[in-house]
Amino acid sequence: MSTPVLEARRDSRPPVIAPGHTFETVTDRISRVVLRRGTPRGWIVGFALSFCLMMVLFYSVAALLFRGIGIWGINQPVEWGFDIVNFVWWIGIGHAGTLISAILLLLKQEWRTSINRFAEAMTLFAVACAGLYPVLHLGRPWLAYWLFPYPNTMGMWPQFRSPLIWDVFAVSTYLTVSLMFWFVGLIPDLATLRDRSPSRIGRGVYGILAMGWRGSAKHWHRYETAYLLLAGLSTPLVVSVHTIVSFDFAVSVVPGWHATIFPPYFVAGAIYSGFAMVMTLAIPIRKFYNLEDFLTMRHLDNMARVMLATGLIVAYGYMMETFMAWYGGNPYESFMILNRFGGPYAPQYWLLITCNVVIPQVLWFRRVRASIPALFVVSLIVNLGMWLERYIIIVVSLHRDFLPSSWGMYSGSIYDWSMFVGSIGLFLSLLFLFIRYLPMISIFEMRTLVPGAEVKEETP
Amino acid sequence: MARLDPTMPGLHLAPDHVFVRVQRVAGAVGAGAILLCVAGALLNPAAFFRAYLVAYLFWFGIALGSLAILMVQYVTGGAWGAVVRRVLESGTRTLPLMAVLFVPLAFGLPYLYVWARPEVVAHDALLQHQRIYLNVPFFLVRAAFYFAVWITVTHFLNRWSLAQDSRPEPRLERRLEMLSRAGLMLYGLTETFAAIDWAMSLDPHWASTIYGILLMGGQGLAAFAFVIPVAAILARRPPLSRIITPDQFHDLGKLMLAFVMLWAYFSFSQFLIIWSGNLPEEIPWYLRRIQGGWLWVGILLALAHFMLPFVVLLSRDVKRRPRVLALVAGMLIVARFVDIFWLVRPTQGSAGLELHWLDFVTPFAIGGLWLWVFVWQLGTRPLVPVNDPCLPVMEAA
Repeated sequence: MSTPVLEARRDSRPPVIAPGHTFETVTDRISRVVLRRGTPRGWIVGFALSFCLMMVLFYSVAALLFRGIGIWGINQPVEWGFDIVNFVWWIGIGHAGTLISAILLLLKQEWRTSINRFAEAMTLFAVACAGLYPVLHLGRPWLAYWLFPYPNTMGMWPQFRSPLIWDVFAVSTYLTVSLMFWFVGLIPDLATLRDRSPSRIGRGVYGILAMGWRGSAKHWHRYETAYLLLAGLSTPLVVSVHTIVSFDFAVSVVPGWHATIFPPYFVAGAIYSGFAMVMTLAIPIRKFYNLEDFLTMRHLDNMARVMLATGLIVAYGYMMETFMAWYGGNPYESFMILNRFGGPYAPQYWLLITCNVVIPQVLWFRRVRASIPALFVVSLIVNLGMWLERYIIIVVSLHRDFLPSSWGMYSGSIYDWSMFVGSIGLFLSLLFLFIRYLPMISIFEMRTLVPGAEVKEETP
Repeated sequence: MARLDPTMPGLHLAPDHVFVRVQRVAGAVGAGAILLCVAGALLNPAAFFRAYLVAYLFWFGIALGSLAILMVQYVTGGAWGAVVRRVLESGTRTLPLMAVLFVPLAFGLPYLYVWARPEVVAHDALLQHQRIYLNVPFFLVRAAFYFAVWITVTHFLNRWSLAQDSRPEPRLERRLEMLSRAGLMLYGLTETFAAIDWAMSLDPHWASTIYGILLMGGQGLAAFAFVIPVAAILARRPPLSRIITPDQFHDLGKLMLAFVMLWAYFSFSQFLIIWSGNLPEEIPWYLRRIQGGWLWVGILLALAHFMLPFVVLLSRDVKRRPRVLALVAGMLIVARFVDIFWLVRPTQGSAGLELHWLDFVTPFAIGGLWLWVFVWQLGTRPLVPVNDPCLPVMEAA
């Protein structure tokens, strides 16, 4: 075994797993959440609320299909609005899952183990929410398969030079690989659930999903190889998906979109918002299910550090955009920046700066990183800030077209809002189902963190 | 399984080490090249300054990249950084030399930068707009400020690291980490504006927001490409032979591969966005770089700076074999030079690729001097930071 590339330096920091756990207690504590008899009331209430929100989404989609996308607030010149804002926001949130599961695995960061499973689930659900928007924006979503290049009688091909078609490939690849990675990671735990489930149905369903896992040495050997390969495959996806999303904007010549810094700055923003969402979810879950032993302060501290670092990269992006808008001397660019600072959307802009740049600086203080309420509030603020960032990028650049005669204002309609809120409902409903029916923390990987799990080679 | 005692002999660079010979040769070559440069500067100052800037930015990239990687390691930890810490530190201690070598540039600004020529500025609206930023006094003040920041951070990182050798204190460790965090932020800002000032403003009509990051990626790569061969040579003899294992080379190789990919990612993103936008103020920058022989330089870069090292470094065996890894790193150092050459040279003067004999002499002039100082600095301290908590456990002698 080689030494960790980025191994933790401070042994004085809280451990990644609370002391006193054995293989048995780990398995028991995590699988109990799924296998317990009866469903906790909190879960029922939470799921019911999420389900209602999801119904709001379904209603909005039905209205959209019935009446057309005119029910949204988009029009000339702002022809991209909430749909793209929400698409980018959700896709960005998914990135933390892939980063945690793939890159941190390859970097041998052991602390990732207790958050990777539900971060990956979060990725899948976020990508599902994200995928809704561009498809619905097509206007005739039942023809969405036209996006794929297939030989057809119409003699029509997608425009391969358009990043929108790259998006189709990037996002569908992302969804496929993330799903595979998540499922492969689940197999040993599904077998554990199969073996421990008290009900016949449970044994049957988990048994089918476990695909005959017996835990033999050969199984484990192949499993490890497959998992590492999938991690390697997922790694470029962390960068490529949001890079292509950034190309959606950057390859145009629209002021505020056409900036070479967009790819790395979008990727950093995606990881920033993703970690904020993981934290927003992890804090209540660990409390509610008494998982403080597995999701320790060490995890929250590390996630806060990642947020701080990526937040600073995002701030650097804002700074460079502003500086170059002045330095480059392009009147449209400088007008766009001044319009952000003092135009009709200035309150949203300054709120974005407050949420994304100013407030997260409190994470420099160790005391803030050790305070759960403070972290929860900061993570919510960053989620809001990253949503506003996309809103500002999209709306401010579009609402002042090159010709003043084509200027216009934009605001989301009631259907824009109901779809946004509804997609949160879809996300939370899926998350509740996941928590109830699958182990939200990787049991077998947590067992490897139990002291004494690692067999040390004896030096003669 | 004992830690080394800092007072024990044999921790320093041996007087008969191959590096001492390298230093002698570098000094001699450097001195000769400097004489040629002085002659060249008198004969053709314009050609001299163009060639000098390329060579300067190349060696400067290794020095500043070493500082950045050193700080990254303090913040994130890892044995790979502890075993090459003294190499990185010696690299950072060449920054005062780079500050001194910056002085000649101050005398050649009008040869290099159009914004430093009042007769050009008088007829150019954009240059007049940029004048509050791009003017000679402010340019020099900024350069002095950047060096002040880098040298101050270097000074304290080196001092505390040396203090750690004699007494292992968690307080020092903590201080090193805190300074590195602040230092990385300062590095990001100063390096960006230094890149804009020294290289991007060669063509003041062109602006790219990724430029600073692009050069940061290049500097990180330059530092790894330099440190790996040095570590491979040091690893042949004690004391490093007793602590460096293939594992550390594996990690260094992975990080170098990561920087190869980052560089390609930044460069390609910039290219794709500008190509696709095809705006009159942006695309000439690339058009100039495909004219005449420059296209071949660009293709060479794509091959030697990305494709070849990428494919080779994917192999686990290559990363675990110091000799082979050092060979790849050596190729990447050359590629770094070509990249800087490609970024900096075409902006000035003629349309095609025109080489001057000074282009071949200046890298040796600065490089000879730089290597001489580097080896001198390497010899001043134990080669192993004996009390570093990240140091892999080593076998007793």
